[in-house]
Amino acid sequence: MAAQLPDLTTTLAPGAAPPLPSLVSARHLRNQRVGRALRLWVPAAILVALFFLCFIWPYVYTIPSGTVGSILAAQEPPFSPGHWLGTDPVGVDVFAMLVYGGQVAFEVGFAVTAIGLVIGGLIGLAAGYFGGWTDTILSRIIDVLIAFPALVLALAVAEVLQPSELHLIWALSVFSVPAFARVTRGSTLVVRQLPFIQAARLSGTRSWRIILKHVLPNVIPGIISFSLIGVGIVVILEGALDFLGLGIQQPKPSWGGMIARGQTVLTATPEYVLIPSIVLLIFVMALNLLGDALRERWGVR
Amino acid sequence: MALAQQVQLQRDPGARSDIVRRVTGSPALQLVGRRLLTAIPVLLGVTFLTFVVMNLIPGNPARLILGINATPGQIEQTDIKLGLNHPFWDRYWLWLDGLLHGNLGIAYSNQQSVNTDLAQHLPVTCWLLLYTLVVSLGLGVIVAVLAARKPNGIADRLSLAVSMLGLSIAPYVLALVLIYVFAVKVQWFPAISNSLGGNPLQAIRALTLPAASIGFPLFAVYSRLLRADIVEQMQREDYIVTAKAKGVSPWRVLILHATRNSMFTLITLVALNLGTLIGAVAIIEPIFSLPGIGAELIGAIQINDLPLVEGIVVVFALVTVAGNLLADLLYAVLDPRIRYGRSTS
Repeated sequence: MAAQLPDLTTTLAPGAAPPLPSLVSARHLRNQRVGRALRLWVPAAILVALFFLCFIWPYVYTIPSGTVGSILAAQEPPFSPGHWLGTDPVGVDVFAMLVYGGQVAFEVGFAVTAIGLVIGGLIGLAAGYFGGWTDTILSRIIDVLIAFPALVLALAVAEVLQPSELHLIWALSVFSVPAFARVTRGSTLVVRQLPFIQAARLSGTRSWRIILKHVLPNVIPGIISFSLIGVGIVVILEGALDFLGLGIQQPKPSWGGMIARGQTVLTATPEYVLIPSIVLLIFVMALNLLGDALRERWGVR
Repeated sequence: MALAQQVQLQRDPGARSDIVRRVTGSPALQLVGRRLLTAIPVLLGVTFLTFVVMNLIPGNPARLILGINATPGQIEQTDIKLGLNHPFWDRYWLWLDGLLHGNLGIAYSNQQSVNTDLAQHLPVTCWLLLYTLVVSLGLGVIVAVLAARKPNGIADRLSLAVSMLGLSIAPYVLALVLIYVFAVKVQWFPAISNSLGGNPLQAIRALTLPAASIGFPLFAVYSRLLRADIVEQMQREDYIVTAKAKGVSPWRVLILHATRNSMFTLITLVALNLGTLIGAVAIIEPIFSLPGIGAELIGAIQINDLPLVEGIVVVFALVTVAGNLLADLLYAVLDPRIRYGRSTS
């Protein structure tokens, strides 16, 4: 299909006219700019702070073990000496569990997203750019993987292989890959129709060169902002598997595991559920806000 | 007459395709047909994948059923009874054959037919999802309209903050918070409901907290999507300008024109995502001890009960496929451009 001429009637529609600059005060504009910067940098700063807390703080400052504790120091309330956030019913330090569980959340979240981004992105580019049979076959495989419930696979992985962080990453990647493939395919389809792709094709550029040099740069901003939101989804999913006892196993701390253990004593001591839940919420919300801010900045829908 | 038509067809191949087009004609029907055809490989793929994965799990189901003290003879007998003595491909084939006859096999755990099991547990999940969808969609639409009325106004910012919370909170966390507040502290709703109870009021009471846990994130997605769509319609579309120029009142333009048009993007999204709700259902139902198929799935996975897992997976795969079909049909019914087959840009 040939590229169409831009439709002059819609581009000149009165509703699409930009607001007149004279009507907007300089102060308003400045506020807008500050607001936009804050929306980007505040969540970014929160993520950096969490990263620092999880990965660098344990080397800067000695924190208690996240797996074993003394039964003599069990169930200490938050803000007690030596245990900033108290200890759990068997005496393990809550803050230490949060830190080590946070390492797991960061590693699993970003690793699964990275795998999905690279493999799923390539599949989506191929399916969207080449179309035809390639697209049909790849799309059906994507459909199957998306309709396949994550829990079944996660449990099988936990049973067949030893349940570990690495295996959790592989199991969850089975779901991030098709998700990225679908998103990338969608935006590739849009970009493929644009005139400069037609021009490149007509001038005899090789397919892989068009994909890498012309399609990819136009698809990437959308995928990057999607991938930040994707990290949030993966972290929630990872927590769900830990919560069900299918992910990271008992002595090793994880946020989902902490919440699951807190559930049993919810009535008496809600803080065991509340503390990891709040951290999980802040982490995921920062990722979502950052994804939104990048989307706004890059003008992707 | 018929002969004349035959002759006509032979002379002019264009006429034949015209007649064929008129018979199989409606583009909506074609769309549905194509979708049904693509649904078959998806269903086969999902069931096969589940079969493979469940077969990878070590442990003999017969030993699981009979317990530790079973003799090899007993195990062999049970293997034969469950059809486990057949090779892998035969078992998958037999299972598919059963599926086509509406028979999902016998569950390993309680030796009951999977059909009976599903019939027992499916209603709870259906009511739960219905409740969830009605409330989250209803609230989502109301909030989206109020927010879109004045972009960047107070209502808009407030709804944006609430939906950001909904997008970021994990359903299991929300469930526990709701239990603590509404079941432990003020005791309005039960924390545990083993059945839906006799009367509708009891059922609603039992389902409110689980529905809220699943529905709040959904509400966030729905209201955000619809709000964005309405705002875009209001800013870009010519028919809005026409309506405003004609002096139609702002609320009327917003609700009867813009929202009505945006609704169908939303409904499509709801239909497309129906099947993915199994994840949320499987996590939330056990928390509230609801006897639905989500809780059943978790239990079945943990004891390696292949027929039961397959049965539940098939139900949700079917829901996914039906959702996709519904989305296409809605497109066709709601959008006259597709209904009448006029090609769009």
